[in-house]
Amino acid sequence: MLTPSERERYDRQIMIGEIGQEGQGKLKRSRVVIAGAGGLGSPIAIYLTAAGIGTIRIIDHDQVALSNLNRQVLHWEEDVGRKKVDSARTKLRNLNSTVDIQAMAETITEKNASELVDGCDAIIDAMDNLPTRYILNRCAVEKKIPFFHGAVNGFEGRVLTVIPGETACLRCMYRGLVPQEKFPVIGVVPAVIGSIQATEVIKYLAGIGKLLTNRLLIYDGLKVTFSEFRLNKNPDCDHCGSLSGKE
Amino acid sequence: MVVKVHIHTTHRQFTNGSDVVAVEGNTVGECLNHLIKQFPGMEKALFAKNDKLLNTVEVYLNHASAYPNELLKPVKDGDQIHLVVMLTGG
Repeated sequence: MLTPSERERYDRQIMIGEIGQEGQGKLKRSRVVIAGAGGLGSPIAIYLTAAGIGTIRIIDHDQVALSNLNRQVLHWEEDVGRKKVDSARTKLRNLNSTVDIQAMAETITEKNASELVDGCDAIIDAMDNLPTRYILNRCAVEKKIPFFHGAVNGFEGRVLTVIPGETACLRCMYRGLVPQEKFPVIGVVPAVIGSIQATEVIKYLAGIGKLLTNRLLIYDGLKVTFSEFRLNKNPDCDHCGSLSGKE
Repeated sequence: MVVKVHIHTTHRQFTNGSDVVAVEGNTVGECLNHLIKQFPGMEKALFAKNDKLLNTVEVYLNHASAYPNELLKPVKDGDQIHLVVMLTGG
């Protein structure tokens, strides 16, 4: 049930036929995890907070650096040196005080991932490295929690939504280790990709639209093109297929 | 048997800036070999020392993932191959 204040606050999105008061109520009752409070995590957190998701848990072990500010728009000059999750919580609470913002300054590991995402309806991958993305992907598959992947480099980004047990997961095309390198990026690209991830989360929680499942969306900011590639669930995937648990 | 290969942005330095290259072959692997004959710099961009595709390279055939055994996938006239590089940044 929405309060009069909530009906006023979310009036413009309640006006969208697919959302309505029922959809808004679903968003209000939802709990999501955003893994990473950086370039992708910033727009995701801002738009999900503005949209009225009931509980948003943000996980990031890092502190704000000056070199983050070209893209991590949740953090400002005054936040340099502060924990990213504390900086994020301050801004998000000022944006929407009715949302329960849970800030967790933790490093995501295979040991703690399950506990960190426990009780949530969606896991949003806003990480900056592949090993942690895979930890989250496996955790999502095992706990049957939908997983919303996004990644960027330069002017390019990609988005994939995973419904465990039904669709291809992030690991389904795994071929081996990838070297971890400092990546180039300009803030407008994670803004685009993070906004699409947030859109996917809202659609999933409200039960509307067609998700980016089994479809990898690639954005090229230099050409301003979106390309879509079909993915197949890999029956031998070591996360979601027959080889799961045999690693 | 002409196939179009779409070159990723980061690889266009090896194709004189071309974003699409016409190649010939009966499999994805043969097509990539023909691509490398035309633009030798593409070899290091695509392959590890053991002639295995780099772990960061993804191959899509007619907008569908060619994984696994990408190089063995048959192609026909008019097919399109997209070479895409995996992204990890956030």
